[in-house]
Amino acid sequence: MGQFGMTRAIIQFILFLFTLAVLIPLLNILAISLSDPARVNELSGLGVLPKGFSLINYEIIMSNPFILKSIFNSVFITIVGTLLNLFLTAITAYVLARTEFVGKRIVLVVLIAIMVFEPSMITEYLLMKDLHLLNSYAAVIFYKAINVYYLFILMRFFQEVPNSILEAARIDGAGHFRIFTKIMLPLSKPALATLALFYGVYHWNEYFRATIYLSDPNKWPLQVVLRQFVVTQDNTTLLKGVEGMTPELLATLDFGSLQSATIVVAVIPMLLLYPLILRYFTKGTMDGGVKE
Amino acid sequence: MRKNSSIKRLRKDWILYLMLLPGLLYFVIFHIIPILNMKLAFQDYRIIGENVWVGMKHFEQLFSSPAFKDVLMNTVIISTMKIIFIFPIPILVSLLVNELRFGPFRKYVQSVSYLPHFLSWVVIAGIWITLLDPVNGGVNVIRNFFQLPTLDYMTSKEHIRWVLVYSEMWRSAGWDSILYLAAILKINPSLYEAARIDGASTFQQMRYITIPALMSTVVTLFILNLGFFMSAGFDQVFNLMNDSVLSVIDILDTYVYRIGILNGQYSYATAASLFKGVIGLVLILGTHFLSKRLTGKGVW
Repeated sequence: MGQFGMTRAIIQFILFLFTLAVLIPLLNILAISLSDPARVNELSGLGVLPKGFSLINYEIIMSNPFILKSIFNSVFITIVGTLLNLFLTAITAYVLARTEFVGKRIVLVVLIAIMVFEPSMITEYLLMKDLHLLNSYAAVIFYKAINVYYLFILMRFFQEVPNSILEAARIDGAGHFRIFTKIMLPLSKPALATLALFYGVYHWNEYFRATIYLSDPNKWPLQVVLRQFVVTQDNTTLLKGVEGMTPELLATLDFGSLQSATIVVAVIPMLLLYPLILRYFTKGTMDGGVKE
Repeated sequence: MRKNSSIKRLRKDWILYLMLLPGLLYFVIFHIIPILNMKLAFQDYRIIGENVWVGMKHFEQLFSSPAFKDVLMNTVIISTMKIIFIFPIPILVSLLVNELRFGPFRKYVQSVSYLPHFLSWVVIAGIWITLLDPVNGGVNVIRNFFQLPTLDYMTSKEHIRWVLVYSEMWRSAGWDSILYLAAILKINPSLYEAARIDGASTFQQMRYITIPALMSTVVTLFILNLGFFMSAGFDQVFNLMNDSVLSVIDILDTYVYRIGILNGQYSYATAASLFKGVIGLVLILGTHFLSKRLTGKGVW
């Protein structure tokens, strides 16, 4: 057994190093954001504990009306978008799962074609222009109202609901819409919750469509604002409209720390949902993998 | 006769078709129309009035353009690097994680390694730009410790493609191992027991039981990856790009964005997308049928 113990110890050590490689960059960003801006230079790139403790970066972000607005925009887009996703995906999946639906084959073939051939971002952009959706939240929300892959997952889930339940409901005089709202939706709460997480993560992380469709900075979600000063290093928006921003205060700030704090803010909702994500996503992906 | 019964069913289940309407409208408006409108690649875009048909003009321009050749080369190089260097990592991770008993350490490794998959590329770019910072970035701290000179990765044409490879690895190594772990869990445990009784070491068990059992999953996923060859990672490149390295990491998708959305050459950019779409389609269909023949499983 000694030999096995040795191998296992080596494997554990390798995996421990691997998790450090994943964690240290994340914790380093957190440490930078919580450090005293005057001492942040002392913090090593591998450091995970803040140098001196200060919430000044978060105070500035939270007193910046522009960033607050973008957080609000992100929340709005995520909630409305996810609800629309769930409604459209569920109602379409219901129809596709019904055996009495004539024309199922054609619809499925078209959906698979849609899944493998993506339209050009140019014609998509021109479509939004023609529909006069440019610079409106609708463009960002509608662009991916149904994900075909998730639609198929839900369709399969609906198909597993025993037909006898539905038959009984039909005999009692329930129409399709009643069956959908009173039986299918309540029965598929776990599946809907999983899809809500999938769609929610997608909306919260989406920045590209917002970048090209929303020209009014007041409509930008947080990810676009973040991109603005993390990737393109444009700091003007960051300090615009912050109350009590004096040149003295400005001189004490550190842009890298402010950027890090914004990154942390953009990740927080993800971390709050992470236990749920782990439970549902991992299980779903595992099951999917086993079935394949 | 059959038609009659279809009409009868339509009448009986009209609510069903009404329920399909929103989804159908969505797919027609936001997917089918933009796809059909890719005919723009054969036209000249006019702001006012009808577009004019110009045949293959934009494709000829595309294929004679040195910029397009560079972009195509970058796409191929980056995709190839990613397949060679990233593809094996999740397999390795799953083999190692599998050796941990179900316990707190295994849970910790999995929770940590899945995390980056759920961060947006904007966030990851921010983290990696900090990590690779020449003044105090983590990577340069390590380099300096080993007496190596400081390197500015983000502006180095030699290194930026490796930044793409490593950052992608950092993001997906853990998450992508899930499918392999699922396949390993399916393996009959009595095989391991028998091997252990015969005195097989951990490595021998891996080599003679786990790896052969994994092969069909490996082949399927490899083929799937090939299907997405032409998309070398738009979100990633878009967020890690800067002017000094643009020439070596500009890929088809970022090129379309620049010449189309930014410069307004709609027709020319659509021609580039159509080219990418057709090659991608051939790859996906080709790999689908190849996968069906080799493993009995397709992409859908």
